[in-house]
Amino acid sequence: MIRFENVSKVYARGARPALDDVSVDVSRGEFVFLVGASGSGKSTFLRLVLREERPTGGTVYVAGRDLSRLSSWKVPSLRRSIGVVFQDFRLLPGKTVYENVAFALQVIGKPRHTIRTTVPEVLEMVGLDGKEKRLPHELSGGEQQRVAIARAFVNRPQILLADEPTGNLDPTTSLGIMRLLDRINRTGTTVVMATHDDEIVNEMRKRVVELSTGSVVRDERDAVYGERESILPQVGQTPVLDAPGRGARAVQRVQVSPEPADLEAERAAEAAAARAAAQEPAAPSATAAPDSSGASADEVVQQVLREHERVRAGREA
Amino acid sequence: MRLQFVLTEVLQGLRRNLSMVVSVVLVTFVSLTFVGAAALLQTQVTKLKGDWYDLVEVSVFLCPDGSTAPTCADGEATEEQIEALEKVIDSELSQIVATTYFESKAEAFEAFSELYPDGYQGTQLTEDDMQASFRLKLVDPEQYQVVDDVLEGRAGVEVVEDQREVFEPLFLALGRASLLAAGLAGVMLLAAVLLITTTIRLSAVSRRRETGIMRLVGASNLFVQLPFMLEGAIAALVGALLAVGGLWLGVQYLVTDWLQDSVDWVAYVDVGDVLLIAPLLVGIAVLLAVVSSVVTLNRYTRV
Repeated sequence: MIRFENVSKVYARGARPALDDVSVDVSRGEFVFLVGASGSGKSTFLRLVLREERPTGGTVYVAGRDLSRLSSWKVPSLRRSIGVVFQDFRLLPGKTVYENVAFALQVIGKPRHTIRTTVPEVLEMVGLDGKEKRLPHELSGGEQQRVAIARAFVNRPQILLADEPTGNLDPTTSLGIMRLLDRINRTGTTVVMATHDDEIVNEMRKRVVELSTGSVVRDERDAVYGERESILPQVGQTPVLDAPGRGARAVQRVQVSPEPADLEAERAAEAAAARAAAQEPAAPSATAAPDSSGASADEVVQQVLREHERVRAGREA
Repeated sequence: MRLQFVLTEVLQGLRRNLSMVVSVVLVTFVSLTFVGAAALLQTQVTKLKGDWYDLVEVSVFLCPDGSTAPTCADGEATEEQIEALEKVIDSELSQIVATTYFESKAEAFEAFSELYPDGYQGTQLTEDDMQASFRLKLVDPEQYQVVDDVLEGRAGVEVVEDQREVFEPLFLALGRASLLAAGLAGVMLLAAVLLITTTIRLSAVSRRRETGIMRLVGASNLFVQLPFMLEGAIAALVGALLAVGGLWLGVQYLVTDWLQDSVDWVAYVDVGDVLLIAPLLVGIAVLLAVVSSVVTLNRYTRV
């Protein structure tokens, strides 16, 4: 689905390359974490996939298209097959939740009746049913990110790119967002997520591509975030995060209670997913992930949620 | 869907940038009024020429007695010379001259006496003081130069005179006025282009968030840029319509109702002419807007 062949990107002449001879192959339906310190090239990677930048060397293939040969008038069609989520949500402040999501369809010329049916569907999926008329500033961060995800996913893209989607959110809310992304992944959508959130990476156990000063230094399946001190030396070691499950009580993290609204949204999203599953009993539809890890990922998330509860209970005790 | 969406965007943009939009409207209004005024002046000149040139003739004055012109060295034009000239006019100028009329000295004196029955400024002129001439009516009055080239310098011809010269000062004045209007129009059009460019740029910057998301979700270039283009085009169009309206009022009240009443022997431009140049003005306005938006948008909202 996404293939980088010896891709290099130099922004300014003579400067250190943002990407240096990177070769990565992401297949259809995969969930990939892109980790690495700030400036390691994660965002450049995503920008190259979107063709917001052109590589200075090598070739980028996205959804079967060679981006270096893609003429600029075909770029919109490429971007219609890619959804993007950002750390800062990038919602339009003057538009309601519904309008924000509908906007993405309006501007690519979708007919009105399509918008009227798909937008409520996707809002239900992300758990924001009943909040269509809210404005972004009336929502919590987690809810805003759900709106952003709904907007990115409403056109059912083949690829979803997420640039630190949980960077502004507390851990529990982040977890809800991750469950949502996981659910989207299981509809067959390829997800590439750049993140600094080691906890999430460790919990999800997905493929991890680690970038360091523009080069791929690690590419593992079912991997963990890695050693914090080497990826983020300025933060230092936090043992429990590098080896989850051991010494869980030693977590030195600011504990925040998630917004009730976020929990509510998460429950609603889950209910929507359950309803959808009930409506299509075991249908191996085209949207089902070819990846057999689909079911187990959900288990992992469940397990993680239980783990969270346990940690919290342990602290409160 | 698309159309309604684009129109909503356009309306929002116009509302948000109201003061800039108003200034674009005013500048296009003024500049196109000048363009229209120049065009109307040209129309007026053409009308006058069409009317008056039908009346004018070319006079070929023949040598009188005692002329100092070199071609008149032999004294008064002889019968043979007159016949020769007549032949030349009939042969060489047959395509150009519509009618030829020979005015003899006697006829000239008759006409003169009719004009000045008491003599000219106290002098008593006789028939011998008159000058015989050919009066040529040309098929196309602009062909005067050909007649002049053929006849001037021939034996017996003292001077070839074009009556159009009488009108030249007036046409020169009108021509200069229309040139002035066109010059001002040029300056104002430049201002209009710059202002439209700035307005579109402001609009694009103030909606950068929207356009950013549009590009991200794969809106086509045209779809992203169309609202801005339409904004500029609508503002310019309103300016053009105001200009047409202004010219219409000016022609109706200044020319048709006032000038025509006081000086009624001249054919004036009328509101019909304003309507004729209206498409030109609207076309210029749209062209201005499109050119400036294409230039600006390529820089500010490229994919």
